[in-house]
Amino acid sequence: MGEAIVITSGKGGVGKTTTSANIGTALALQGKHICLIDTDIGLRNLDVVMGLENRIIYDLVDAAEGRCRVQQALIKDKRFDCLHLLPAAQTKDKSALQPEQMKQVVEELKPDYDYIIIDCPAGIEQGYKNAVSGADQAVVVTTPDTSAVRDADRIIGLLEQEDLAAPKLIINRVRSHLSTQGDTLDVDDVVSTLAIDLLGMIVDDEEVLKAAHQGEPIAMNPNSRASIGYRNIARRILGESVPLMSIDEKKGFFARLKSMLGLRA
Amino acid sequence: MAYVSEVKQMKTGPSKNRVTIKGTKEGLTIIMDDQCSFEDLKEELREKIAKDKQVFGNGPEVEVTVDTGYRYIGEHQKEVLSGLLKDAESIRIKEFRSEVISREEAKRQREEEGLTPVTQIIRSGQVVSVRGDVLLLGDVNPGGAVEATGNVYILGTLKGTARAGVEGDLEAVVCASVMEPNQISISDVMFYAPDRYEKKQSGPLFGEPVFAYIATPEKEISFEKTRLLTQFQKQ
Repeated sequence: MGEAIVITSGKGGVGKTTTSANIGTALALQGKHICLIDTDIGLRNLDVVMGLENRIIYDLVDAAEGRCRVQQALIKDKRFDCLHLLPAAQTKDKSALQPEQMKQVVEELKPDYDYIIIDCPAGIEQGYKNAVSGADQAVVVTTPDTSAVRDADRIIGLLEQEDLAAPKLIINRVRSHLSTQGDTLDVDDVVSTLAIDLLGMIVDDEEVLKAAHQGEPIAMNPNSRASIGYRNIARRILGESVPLMSIDEKKGFFARLKSMLGLRA
Repeated sequence: MAYVSEVKQMKTGPSKNRVTIKGTKEGLTIIMDDQCSFEDLKEELREKIAKDKQVFGNGPEVEVTVDTGYRYIGEHQKEVLSGLLKDAESIRIKEFRSEVISREEAKRQREEEGLTPVTQIIRSGQVVSVRGDVLLLGDVNPGGAVEATGNVYILGTLKGTARAGVEGDLEAVVCASVMEPNQISISDVMFYAPDRYEKKQSGPLFGEPVFAYIATPEKEISFEKTRLLTQFQKQ
């Protein structure tokens, strides 16, 4: 029986979809059976980030309304056999789905997968309610910005009212040189404000943008620091205890030598 | 209360002495027997007012306290008594005093005087509202608010909004272990955090626990170290 994890943030543009895609990929790398569900109806992106947009035939709304079986709507990933995507509908809007229907779809998928990763739309309205209704666990994504942290705080407050395990936190796009100068919030500020467990942090990395452009999740690239961050998060989800990566970019001699030889820094 | 013994004495006295008018140092007091029926009381009060016209007569206006002893009087009965006393023109009722109150009132009073502990992180968009004093074991995050009709005590960081004395108590205070508020209000006096560019650096406004209070006569919110709260409350 699988576990359903919703990836949410409140604010838009902090990296929910990227995080969903990469956690899914990193878990699939560990050989787990994963199903990604995009609940951002009308503004679907997860299929694009995964590079699967040309394979969509049926979508989440079709499955929920019984126009097809849930299994028919699933798209198999081109890299992993154990990674599937249930795309959102693009021609409808959030009201096309009800929380009960979402719950039913997730329940139907649970026996076949180890983890079901639900990508939540921004906002706290219908789309959020749909996404959360099927989940057992929640992961809140934020960036070290005042406004993103404020929205994350709001979302955590709302999640606490749901029947879910305590939400976990991912801090995305951490830049070491800004926070050490005191120009932005640092990881400690964010964690102490939100007061929930930190699942991991992802350093800001251009490679993530390039990877998204190519439709190839960054978690596939073993040389990126962001990729290592996502892989560490996947290992923590599986119950391993992995120490937090240092965000310092200063490289020692060996690290420089390693990167010259093309090994992970 | 001092009147209780007098009320008890009256019961043993002549039966036609259910309403006594007495002058005390607080002014005129109408003491009413609490064992007879309300009808009897009304009757006698009416007689007394008619007879003692010279007492209430044309003199200057007198303030009167109506003491009903161990009789509970509701709103309707208060109106009846007020109506009767209106006949004596120069009387103005200061207050009704009774040894007994209804359960509802008692509950409200207990809430009003009590301290309610709350264990929670008040997050953005959440409001915790309490009658009486509130003791918050946790933080108030930006965008969240805690409010009380009495004092607000926070064992944690206040980064959001705190409102004390929301029904007009000017003596209420807001205490916090770490004072870093967006906004504080006590009664209708407001305090806004200094704008971000004015702050030299981020972090709490004070290096130690402080409380916020209304400073007189400026009627502005000021801050003082929590250990001096005892002096403030003595004043």
